[in-house]
Amino acid sequence: MEAQKNIGILGRLLAVVIAIAIMLVVFYGLDHLIMGMQGLPLNPDLSPAG
Amino acid sequence: MKQKKFSHAGGLFFRMLRLFVMLLFAGVSLPSLAVADDGAVNTQERIAPVAEVRLQGQPPVEMVAAPAQKKAQVVEPEAAPQPSRKDYPNVGISSRAIVWVLAQMHLFFGALVLAVPLFVLMIELVGVFTGDDRYDDMAHEFMKISLTGFSITAIFGGSLALALFMLYPDFMGYMMHVFGAQVLVYALMFFFESFFLYVYYYGWNAFRYGNLKWVHLTLGLLLNASGLTIMLLANSWATFMMAPSGVNEVGAVVGNVWEIMKGPLWNPINLHRFIANIGFGGAVVGAYAAFKFLSTGDPAKRAHYDWMGYTSNFIAILAFLPLPFAGYWLMAEIYAYSQQMGITAMGGILAWLFIVQAVLIGTILLAGNFYLWSGMSRTDGSERYKGLIKIIAFVLVVSFLIWVTPHTLILSAAEISLLGGSHHHILGPLGIMPAKNIAVNLMLIATFLSFQLYRRSDKVATVGWAPLGNALLIGVYVAAVANIVFLGVYFGYFTNTVYKVGSSVAQVGTTLVVIVFGLVIDSLMFRNARVLSSHWGRIPDRSQYALFALPIAFTWLMALMGYVRSSVKTHWHVYTVMKDNSPDNFIPTIGYAGNMITLVTILFLLCVLFMFWVANLSGSRQAKPEPVVGGVA
Repeated sequence: MEAQKNIGILGRLLAVVIAIAIMLVVFYGLDHLIMGMQGLPLNPDLSPAG
Repeated sequence: MKQKKFSHAGGLFFRMLRLFVMLLFAGVSLPSLAVADDGAVNTQERIAPVAEVRLQGQPPVEMVAAPAQKKAQVVEPEAAPQPSRKDYPNVGISSRAIVWVLAQMHLFFGALVLAVPLFVLMIELVGVFTGDDRYDDMAHEFMKISLTGFSITAIFGGSLALALFMLYPDFMGYMMHVFGAQVLVYALMFFFESFFLYVYYYGWNAFRYGNLKWVHLTLGLLLNASGLTIMLLANSWATFMMAPSGVNEVGAVVGNVWEIMKGPLWNPINLHRFIANIGFGGAVVGAYAAFKFLSTGDPAKRAHYDWMGYTSNFIAILAFLPLPFAGYWLMAEIYAYSQQMGITAMGGILAWLFIVQAVLIGTILLAGNFYLWSGMSRTDGSERYKGLIKIIAFVLVVSFLIWVTPHTLILSAAEISLLGGSHHHILGPLGIMPAKNIAVNLMLIATFLSFQLYRRSDKVATVGWAPLGNALLIGVYVAAVANIVFLGVYFGYFTNTVYKVGSSVAQVGTTLVVIVFGLVIDSLMFRNARVLSSHWGRIPDRSQYALFALPIAFTWLMALMGYVRSSVKTHWHVYTVMKDNSPDNFIPTIGYAGNMITLVTILFLLCVLFMFWVANLSGSRQAKPEPVVGGVA
């Protein structure tokens, strides 16, 4: 059994914020990928490029 | 001694298996040869005399033209018949109503008996890998429940075939002409399915351990293979009627049987029915477990049936989660094939039934979630997550309300005047697909979260990175919800239709990412986790009623959407190729359709009760009557 790191409440909050930011980037990429695969390209600001 | 007996049984089995494989190949190859020959040698040629026979004093017998001359003739392919009203027999009751009830009952039981062996095989396999006999016993009991269902399926299937041939002779004649020997392969598959079913079920204890267990699993696999083949063949008939292929514009056969089968809707229907059948089967056997749970006071039996109910619910909901996506694919293909057909389904009179569909799907999700929340009381570790249940319930209820909001309302002139238009200024936008796409994806994510919490409730993670893992999971959920809402609102209301439709695929992708990430993170985080004790049987009785609600809602839903799928053909037997000229060649009123759907649902549930009763009967034994003193009973 590994000892769990005690990162405190602020540490947890920071981890959650970073995780949300990372996942937003992942979904941003996913949106571009899926829309592009359907022949519906997007601009960097996610508005339709077609 | 015991081993020797098993070996003998195994040898016999392999010989019989070899015989069946040979028959299978013969069954597949002979009909295809018959199809190939059909065009070259017609009936007239086959029955023609092989030599001239002339009686004394009689004129010469007229011979059929020589083959060389025949080949020179161009054979026109036969167009689809166009029967008139008088070609449809009148039996005094609506032919459509008769076929409707029989077809739907056949489909219900067919779905059940195709699905149960699928997850029974999976459960049996889990039992082999874990070495836990409880899985094996549960799988066997699931099969016991469904056994009567096979006979009922056959009874309704036979009745349906007779009704169709009697009431729609021209249509059935055309279908037989188009599919030819394929229907014989379908019949042949029944023999295989019956053989594998009976050997699989009755051989359960004879092939229980060691190598024979693998023989038993192979039998289960072959049972499922024959069952699935039956489903695929029957699906090809339904999809041919909706989107014919392999025929020309007048219905004349121009392709081979494979080209006729693989129409544009075949695979979407195959996938949709395959997934839906599993969910439906899980829901029905879950009701059996709930019935047994409530009818016994024995703690051991309650624990067993609680576990059985949990497994059934797990199967039903797990299969249900991807179902909307398969349905979406099917509808997209329907639109791609014929925009008119798509609009009939989702923009015309049938669109109202999609609102009823939303109510039923909402019922399934609420019941499934409620059962999971109730089930969390089995373990003390669930206290950690109970606060989240309120949030999940809120998301489910709000999403459900959005989903059931209709776009157009039936209003009087005064009501329109009060409303300031035909659409409510706030609720109107919630009636169109972008809002509903957001709602359905959020409901699926919320249901998956319930599952995840349930699975976590009896475990404590011991890995050092658990807090970071939890943070990542929160990030996945929050970002996914934000992305789904953004895609729905921005593309749904502020861009063109093509982007609106395309963005719904990205929403589905987002939901799938949540499910995959959730499973991966949890499986890594709870490796070597500390397991808390679970108390099977420690669940409130009211939770079992959720297990009753599931099959009722599933059955109603299948009847409803099956009707929609069939009705989109409107006044065609075979869309654009063979017109329906019977007295019922119209889409009935919603009220009539609702009554028929409800009737078949009730009939099915009555038959299911009979099935449960029979399954229960096999385990009971009447006590021998005590002899009465004096010799008189």
